[in-house]
Amino acid sequence: MPEVPVFAVVGHPNKGKSSVVATLSQNDAIAIALEPGTTRKRHRYPLSVDGEVLYVLEDTPGFQRPRRALEWLEAHSASATDRAETVAAFVSEHRDDARFTDECELLAPLVEGAGIIYVVDGSVPYSPEDEIEMTILRWTGRPSLALINSIGPDDYSDAWKAALGQFFQVVRRFDAVRAPFAQHLSLLRAFGQLEPAWEAPLERAVRFLSEQRHSRQVQAARLIADALIDMMTYREQSTLTETQLAQGEDGVVEERLRRRWYEHQRQREQALRRDIEQLYQHRHLRRQEAALEWHSDHDLFSEDSRRAWGVSRRYLATAGFGAGAIGGVGLDALTLGSSFGFGALAGGIVGGTGAYLFGDRFTLPAMQWGPLRDGLKTATFGPVQDSQFGYVVLGRAVDHWWHISHRNHAGRDLLDLPPASDHWLESLDARSRRTLQRGLDSCRRKGRLDGRLRADVEAVVTAALAIYDRRQNGQGST
Amino acid sequence: MIDSALQLLLDFDARVQREASQSAEFLHRRDRRFALTCTERDVPVDARAWLDHLDRLSGDGARASRGVQVARQWRRIAAGFGIAGGLFGVITMLGLLVYEGGQRINVTVLMAFVLLQLLLALLTTLQASLGWQPWRPLLARFQKQLPTRVLRQMQPLLMARAAHLGGLCFSVAALITLLVALVIQDLAFGWSTTLSAAPTGFTRLTASLAWPWRGLWPAAVPDLSLVEATRFYRTGAGMSDVPPSRWGDWWPFIMMLWLTYVVLPRGILLAVAQGHIVLRARRALHAHPGWRALQYRMETPTLDTGNGHNDAEDTPGEFHGAAPRLLPQASVVVYWGGVAADSLPAATRERVRLTCSAGGRATLESDRQTLQQIADTLSDSNGRDNDVLLVTRGWEPPTGELQDFLEAAQSLWPSRARLTVVPVSHDSAVPVPKHQLTQWLRLQERFPAGFVSVALIDPFPANAAESEPDA
Repeated sequence: MPEVPVFAVVGHPNKGKSSVVATLSQNDAIAIALEPGTTRKRHRYPLSVDGEVLYVLEDTPGFQRPRRALEWLEAHSASATDRAETVAAFVSEHRDDARFTDECELLAPLVEGAGIIYVVDGSVPYSPEDEIEMTILRWTGRPSLALINSIGPDDYSDAWKAALGQFFQVVRRFDAVRAPFAQHLSLLRAFGQLEPAWEAPLERAVRFLSEQRHSRQVQAARLIADALIDMMTYREQSTLTETQLAQGEDGVVEERLRRRWYEHQRQREQALRRDIEQLYQHRHLRRQEAALEWHSDHDLFSEDSRRAWGVSRRYLATAGFGAGAIGGVGLDALTLGSSFGFGALAGGIVGGTGAYLFGDRFTLPAMQWGPLRDGLKTATFGPVQDSQFGYVVLGRAVDHWWHISHRNHAGRDLLDLPPASDHWLESLDARSRRTLQRGLDSCRRKGRLDGRLRADVEAVVTAALAIYDRRQNGQGST
Repeated sequence: MIDSALQLLLDFDARVQREASQSAEFLHRRDRRFALTCTERDVPVDARAWLDHLDRLSGDGARASRGVQVARQWRRIAAGFGIAGGLFGVITMLGLLVYEGGQRINVTVLMAFVLLQLLLALLTTLQASLGWQPWRPLLARFQKQLPTRVLRQMQPLLMARAAHLGGLCFSVAALITLLVALVIQDLAFGWSTTLSAAPTGFTRLTASLAWPWRGLWPAAVPDLSLVEATRFYRTGAGMSDVPPSRWGDWWPFIMMLWLTYVVLPRGILLAVAQGHIVLRARRALHAHPGWRALQYRMETPTLDTGNGHNDAEDTPGEFHGAAPRLLPQASVVVYWGGVAADSLPAATRERVRLTCSAGGRATLESDRQTLQQIADTLSDSNGRDNDVLLVTRGWEPPTGELQDFLEAAQSLWPSRARLTVVPVSHDSAVPVPKHQLTQWLRLQERFPAGFVSVALIDPFPANAAESEPDA
């Protein structure tokens, strides 16, 4: 028996073996096709922690000539005690036989001591003809688990479960494309149950995978917060000479700066999306998104986006009141309390009123012209003067993160990102809302975000990810 | 130590900037490995060790340290300030001690100048603490490359250090000039003011100023008699009855005043500035986003799921071959792999003369017999019946066993025989999906033209008749 648990994923051709491996090894570059014969050679996918391999998944081709193989095995076996040896002899004898290439590739890891993960498609009917494959696998004498992976819309899994239970120690349903992460871990634990010696390494693997998922969420929050701050503080600048001003080029410059500013924001959002996808090891993902063109329905700057991801006036007013009150507390502190809290109240009223009155307007940055100095004049476009823009960026980023973090690596369909229909940020607690509003205000006014507030905004984004996750999972389960 | 802390910060920052484009997995693997090696060897895991480790890996010829470059640049700036300060110190003191014989050197002026120096020193420190950099445009002219964000944070402190060093050189050079002048010249000090200050008041002022050294050197504390005796007026009245040596008795006070309120504060503030740089550099390093990321990478185990393998491009390409034909009329039907006998339309089944099963749970010997039986049937028909239907499950892929069966049929049956594979759906109401059909069309292409073809049963009864004429 090998020291490291090895699991050979075997089965009939085109039943989703590679999908299972892709999801469990977090590899979206494994060839998965609806046609058979995509996997011709066995391939190992070891999971290692600090270089120490905890387990190995082995993807294998499907059975091509099971009847012929079983006929050979039956002809060469004297009793039930020599069946495993007979299988080993079959692999040894037919290693160079082109007819049995797939069988040898499939059985070799089992002969070497791997556990069996037998994958069937639960969306097609069970057929007794499949029992020939199961019989061969039983001959190997290896610990075995059957996975019912439904590729199509129909469900015949009950019939499969009843049949597979006669051949395999454990039978589990596992949708390689849609199974949530908790099910991945549960499946790995089930692998560990096949042999007592495999339990500890599989438990460790589960622990490390859980920790990795948690740290990915923290890193994602940091990436989103960085992008949010970058986009909220971004400005485009250009300097014109007196001659250019006299020639009326200011209009051209304004249009150029506006275009560059919008383009930069879109590129920054795309860069964030790529970073998040890389973080979750989705390297070959194709996204179904409306092209980020001006006035397109799902564009970053569209009214549609504002309605979907912006927040309500009431939200802005309460968050603005809180943020203003915190600023006003500074006045109270300066007067050593002699203002009897008036500073906080006044700040709150100003902040809340301003946010209520102007918060629902999607006013993007206006052009600003600096004074004429040394014959030169500087034009600045940005930073954005609208907190709603920050909420739109955050909403879109969090939604994209959620789809990526819940996407299995076996998925090959386009990632569709439709806008949400509710203001989920209103689930944030009042303190987090105030912090976020203060952060956005600081970006807007100062064009930067200082160390501590930046860290606070990062913490709010982390909380926002958790809230969005709970909300989406809640919706999914209802 | 100062340069070391600063260099460490700048080198670290430069390294982090340089690695910004590296993949996160690579960095994690590398740094975790470094941390594990350090733990094994019981070596502290810190930024210095990390940088040294990477420099060692880069080998000779690695690019010059950014920290060394900046430290060298600021050493040059500080040296410039020091030299300039020394020169100005000598010139200033000579200016203050100008004595042409008729007038006394006014102690009040010297005291005011000392106060100004003290204020300037404090202002320099305050400016550094606030991060105000009015001299930045000047500095930018001499810098070869734009300072990074981290260096911009450190510049006020570096500039304060250079300014304090210049101030210290200034004050020490001035003090030495004073001592030399005392030795080689006969200096006459006195005090004078337009204000109607009484000698007692002035004595209280000097006594207060001399408080730090009054126990150490009592002679350096001017007494009332000296103050009364050395007051002078521009008109010169009352100066003749004072002994000439009395005018020189102020020098210990002047020297201690300079030492205590100019040299010493500059020295202390220089030390503070240096300490501040070390402190700020360490704090900036620990607050550096790259340091947090590095710590995370070093503390978190690397988890590799073996996802480096990429064969995504190995999938079969789009199929552009033959389309399925309509179901032909045949006298022989083979149900492959356990397909139910009622899978074909009744009209098709009515004309069939021979129905048999193969594949699935049938033995290979049974398959061979079936092939022979069909060969005999086709031979007996004398060329009237050439079509054989092979009905199979559309959702099951064509395996090697079917391939073997078809190859055996091709060699055994008459050459005019034509075999039509009919994939059926597990739900008769639903046609065989395109991706399932494609696998059968690809199978057709693996055989010589004409022997194997693929046909579909039209699932709609209204169209069923249309499939008949092809037979």
